[in-house]
Amino acid sequence: MKYTPILLAVLVTVVLWWFTRATAWDWELPPDLPPPQVPADNPMSAAKVELGRWLFYDRRLSGNETMSCASCHIQSLAFTDGVAQSIGSTGEIHPRSSMSLVNVAYASRLTWANPLLDRLEDQALTPLLGDRPVEMGLRNGEQRFAELLRTEPKYSALAASAFSSDEDPHSLLNGIRAIAAFIRTINSFDAPYDRYLAGDANAISSAAERGMELFFSERLECFHCHGGFNFTDSTTHANSNVDRVGYHNTGLYNLDDTGAYPSDNTGLFDMSGERRDMGRFKAPSLRNIGVTAPYMHDGSVATLPEVIANYERGGRLIEDGQYAGDGRLSPYKSEFVTGFELTDEERADLLAFLDSLTDQTVLSDARFSDPFLN
Amino acid sequence: MRLFAALIVPWVCVSCSQWDHPVKIPFIATWQGEPIQCDSPDVALSDLRFYISNVQLVDGEGQSHDVRFATEMPWQNDAVAYIDLETGSGDCHNGTAGLSTQVLGVAKFREYRGLRFTVGVPFRLNHENPLAAKPPLDDPDMHWHWRSGYKFLRAGVRTEDDGFWIHVGSAGCEGTVGNITGCKFPNRIEVSLPEFVVDQHAVNIDLTALVAGTDVADGTPTDCSSGPPEDSCAAPFAALGIEFETGEQTGSQSVFSAQ
Repeated sequence: MKYTPILLAVLVTVVLWWFTRATAWDWELPPDLPPPQVPADNPMSAAKVELGRWLFYDRRLSGNETMSCASCHIQSLAFTDGVAQSIGSTGEIHPRSSMSLVNVAYASRLTWANPLLDRLEDQALTPLLGDRPVEMGLRNGEQRFAELLRTEPKYSALAASAFSSDEDPHSLLNGIRAIAAFIRTINSFDAPYDRYLAGDANAISSAAERGMELFFSERLECFHCHGGFNFTDSTTHANSNVDRVGYHNTGLYNLDDTGAYPSDNTGLFDMSGERRDMGRFKAPSLRNIGVTAPYMHDGSVATLPEVIANYERGGRLIEDGQYAGDGRLSPYKSEFVTGFELTDEERADLLAFLDSLTDQTVLSDARFSDPFLN
Repeated sequence: MRLFAALIVPWVCVSCSQWDHPVKIPFIATWQGEPIQCDSPDVALSDLRFYISNVQLVDGEGQSHDVRFATEMPWQNDAVAYIDLETGSGDCHNGTAGLSTQVLGVAKFREYRGLRFTVGVPFRLNHENPLAAKPPLDDPDMHWHWRSGYKFLRAGVRTEDDGFWIHVGSAGCEGTVGNITGCKFPNRIEVSLPEFVVDQHAVNIDLTALVAGTDVADGTPTDCSSGPPEDSCAAPFAALGIEFETGEQTGSQSVFSAQ
């Protein structure tokens, strides 16, 4: 009888522990928004996300310990880096521009034009271990990453907890899983536009309201590639039963009048070898577009007014230099990029709308910030 | 009793001698007929690592017989052998110190003249998770994180300020990583050496033949990553017996020979 309270306490503890393990992850999303897809072999947990956040900001994940994931994915820039083409840890220049990680959990495909990559866990290997170009340059990465997880006390404990059913919790694979889990939590649905949709009529200006009408009009056709709750047609979520992926040629280049793009950035063509895929790239989410300049896969369009000007024209004209050509005449250009006319006021309205997609919360949320700075 | 022995003994002996023919297939790399290393003067090796699979020896009747890899060797499992002829020194910047220069295995006891093999990883293994793969498929340097699958061959040469390197692997793959359904350009290299005799010959990798048709000394380093927009791929792929534009086998390669 005297052991009853102890037994009861143990029983309650076990029940609570089991119950909290089995509870679904709280995404803290607006009502009616479906959660993102999560791979079955990498379920979400607090320990995993916490570990992933530390690793995301840890420079020891690069070969020369000069850069972390956060070096090219800066929170205040919606997890981009503000340059046209990102630079790796050894100084090699990447052909393409760092992509925003905000809401990337909802991306049906990752990177600008690789249709094979639909999971963060697979994509992560390229920046960590890739050598063309060298990005993080983690040579002998498997050993070093695993050693870091084993020897750093905080990581060791978090990994042991997050991957408790693994024979060896402290592995490169698990480190990547942790980072992926953290990145999945970077969600943003608190822009003025979202509050407007939720019923706050004053959340956006009347200029932005008019811009919104233009954005969703058949006249401009923006929504064809940049539509849906995440402003990209390459979106997927937990309730999706269709694999929606879009790659589009927006008439940015037309070398030698053949429709060619520069050879280091041919887009989907590089992967498929099909000529019709020349210059086709994923339409990224337009959320926070106001803080993620410069634009396009190679950062070759510096400002949003220039972006709009290219679409207004129906394709970009490069007058001279090695990339000269008229993108409007490209045989591979998307059928939706036909050009349109805007008054000065309409142009300003459209820009005001795009501005209303900036979510200040995610740009400073402590949950996603650098834990090393405390 | 003697009938019984006559029936049993051949079976016992056959099973004893079935796989007792040890096979050793050394690989050497040459440039203009001379051995080439990472620290050779003038033209040096910058990389040479590849996977071998589907090794067969040809007997007197023209029949092919499988060579079983000795799986106790860390550079071999039952399906692939990993050959690494660079030493990570000199011009082999991205390499490793370890060397594995030969395939070791066993074959049925026969007289053989002729060797066939594939440079590549079989499709059924090529698209598994490299982080969970067993050796020698667990080397991230050989994994093509971008294109999915492995780099079947990494090879290159360098001069003082120029050079050429090539990565050969499957391209135009479809599906998603973990669920690859097929690749339009499998790009496996098929080699047939009818003159090869085990214990007499090594496989010579002629790097001059590989880079002929590219320009190693024009002042501009070039490379080929099995990708479609690259003009620098046509000639080396042809040397390896693959028509680059279509991915079809041509039936004749000029890089591997018996020496």
